[in-house]
Amino acid sequence: MKELIAQGAESVIYRIERWNQYFVLKWRQSKPYLFKDIDSHLRKTRTSRECKMLSVARTLGVRTPAVYAVDLDDFTILMDYIEGVQFKQLVSTLTENQLKGFCLEFGRSIALLHKGDVVHGDPTTSNLIIDSESRLWLIDFGLSEMNATIEMKGVDLHLIHRALETTHWDLQESMLEATIRGYSDSLGKDAMDILSRMEEIRERGRYH
Amino acid sequence: MLVLICLGLEGTAHSFGAGIVTDDGSVLSNEWDMLKPAQGGIHPREASRHHSDLGPSIINNALEKAGINYNDIDFIAFSRGPGLGPCLRTTATMARTLSLKLDVPLVDVNHCVAHIEIGCLESRFKDPVTVYVSGGNSQVIAYAGGRFRTFGETLDIAIGNMLDVLGRELGMGFPAGPIVEKLAKQGTNYHSLPYSVKGMDLSYSGMLTAAKKLFSEGIPIPDICFSVQETAFGMLAEIAERAIAHTKKQELLLTGGVARNNRLTEILEGVSKRHDVKFHRVSPSLAGDQGAMIAWNGILQFNAGHTIEISDSQVLPKWRTDEQDIIWRA
Ligand SMILES: Nc1ncnc2c1ncn2[C@@H]1O[C@H](COP(=O)(O)OP(=O)(O)OP(=O)(O)O)[C@@H](O)[C@H]1O
Ligand SMILES: [Fe+2]
Ligand SMILES: [Mg+2]
Repeated sequence: MKELIAQGAESVIYRIERWNQYFVLKWRQSKPYLFKDIDSHLRKTRTSRECKMLSVARTLGVRTPAVYAVDLDDFTILMDYIEGVQFKQLVSTLTENQLKGFCLEFGRSIALLHKGDVVHGDPTTSNLIIDSESRLWLIDFGLSEMNATIEMKGVDLHLIHRALETTHWDLQESMLEATIRGYSDSLGKDAMDILSRMEEIRERGRYH
Repeated sequence: MLVLICLGLEGTAHSFGAGIVTDDGSVLSNEWDMLKPAQGGIHPREASRHHSDLGPSIINNALEKAGINYNDIDFIAFSRGPGLGPCLRTTATMARTLSLKLDVPLVDVNHCVAHIEIGCLESRFKDPVTVYVSGGNSQVIAYAGGRFRTFGETLDIAIGNMLDVLGRELGMGFPAGPIVEKLAKQGTNYHSLPYSVKGMDLSYSGMLTAAKKLFSEGIPIPDICFSVQETAFGMLAEIAERAIAHTKKQELLLTGGVARNNRLTEILEGVSKRHDVKFHRVSPSLAGDQGAMIAWNGILQFNAGHTIEISDSQVLPKWRTDEQDIIWRA
C-alpha cells in the first residue's frame, strides 16, 4: 500500500506499509524544466547526502528517522515514518510554555549538529515533527553539510530567524528568544561568534 | 464618475521613471530613461545627476502621453526606498516640490512592494508567491499576516548584478543580461558551476568566480553563458518551489528586469506546472523599474487612507519589504 502524504519542493513523500509497519518513501522526481545534468546531479547528491546526514545527525544525538534503504537509480530513500504533526502546524495550538519548550529543544538540536560541525541547511518549522510523546524530530537533510564553518552555522541560524519571521510573525520574538536560548545554553561560549555572524548575514543581501 | 489620477515617480537606482495611472487601474502613460554607465556598476551620484537632469522632461512627456495637465493630477506617489541614497533624495525632492506646487497630497511607496502590486494588477492574481529579480534584488516574497514577507533572497549579489559583472568580464556592454541570454542559445557544452541554495536563500558569488575562471581557461563564451543561466535560474526555481511548498499559495508571479529572460520564464513555468499553480510573467514595460508601479501602489495606499506629510517623508535607503503594513490588503 502506497499513500501520497506530501508534495515537497524537492520530492514526493509516500507512506507505505510493509511488515506491519509504516515507512516513508521519499522520491526525488526528475524536473524536466531543469537542464538534465543539473537535474540528475541534484537528485543524486541530495539523495545520498540526506541518507548519510540523517545517520550522522543521529550519532550527534539528534532524533532523525532511521534509513532502511537508498536507491541511487531511482533516487529514493526508505526511512522511518514518524507518527506526528509538523511543528509549523502545531504552533498555534500550543500554550506559551509548551511552545517555549519545543523551541528550546529545537535550539538544542541545532546546537548538537553545530557542535559536530554539521549544518541542517533548511531548518524551517516544516522540517520538524512532534510525535505523540511530544518528542521533536528533525527531518529533510538534503541540504545538510559536514565540516561546517562559522559562516555556514551563521547561515543556519539566519534561516531559522527567517523562517520564524515569515511563518510565525505573531510569535516570532518569543520563539526566536527560546530557540536561541536553547542553542546558546547547549553550545556555550562558541555561540557568540555564530550569533553575531547571523546578524551580519541578515544585513548583507540587502540593497545598498 | 470621477477618476483619481496619480503621478508616480520612480528613482531608486539607475532608472528614472514617471507614470500616470488612474484608480480604475488604467496606465495612461509610463515614461522612463535608464542611465547606461560607460563602464563599471552604478555610480550613485552620477545616477542622481541623471535623474535631476532628465526628470522634469520625463515627467512632461508622461503628462503629454497621458493627455493631461499638471492640474489634473490628484496626488503624487514616489519611491521612498529601498535604493541608493542620492537617487532616492533627488526623486523625493521632485515629488515634494510638485506636491507643494500643485497643492496635492504625497504618498510614499516601497519599491519592492510596488513591483508586486503592479504584477497583481496585470495578472489579476490575488495572492502570489513573487519572484522579484533585477539588478539590485533577488527575492522570493509572499503576503502573510499583513505584510509582504521575504521568504528567500540572495545572501550576496543579485542575479542582475551577477550577469552584468560577468558580462563586463567577458567584454559585453551594459546591461549584459540580454546579451548573455542571446549567446546562451548558442552554447552547447555545459560546464558545472557551484550551485548554492541555502534553505530559501541562495548565493551567486561562488558561481560568478567560477564562471570567470572558465573564461580565463578559454572556454567559449556561449558555453559560459549557457552554463551560468542554467545554474543561476535552476537555483531560483528551487527557492521558488520551496516557497510554494511552504506557503501553499496558488499563484507564481515573475517580475523585475530579469523577468524579461525567456529561459528563466520557461523554467518557472515548469515549476508552476509541477505544483499545479497559476503562472504569470509581468510584461516588460511593467516588470522593470518604472513610474506606473509607483503610481498604482500610491493609489492603493491613498484609497486605504494613507498619505504622508512632507516633513515626515525622508527617504529610506534600507526600507525592507516586510517593514510596511499592507493596509490595503488587510
Ligand atoms: N520520516 C517522516 N515521517 C513522517 N512524515 C514525514 C517524514 N518525512 C517527511 N514527512 C512529511 O513530508 C513533508 C515533506 O518532507 P521533506 O521535507 O523531507 O521533503 P522535501 O521535498 O525535502 O521538502 P521541502 O519542501 O522542505 O524541500 C514533511 O514536512 C513532513 O510533513
Ligand atoms: Fe526594481
Ligand atoms: Mg521539507
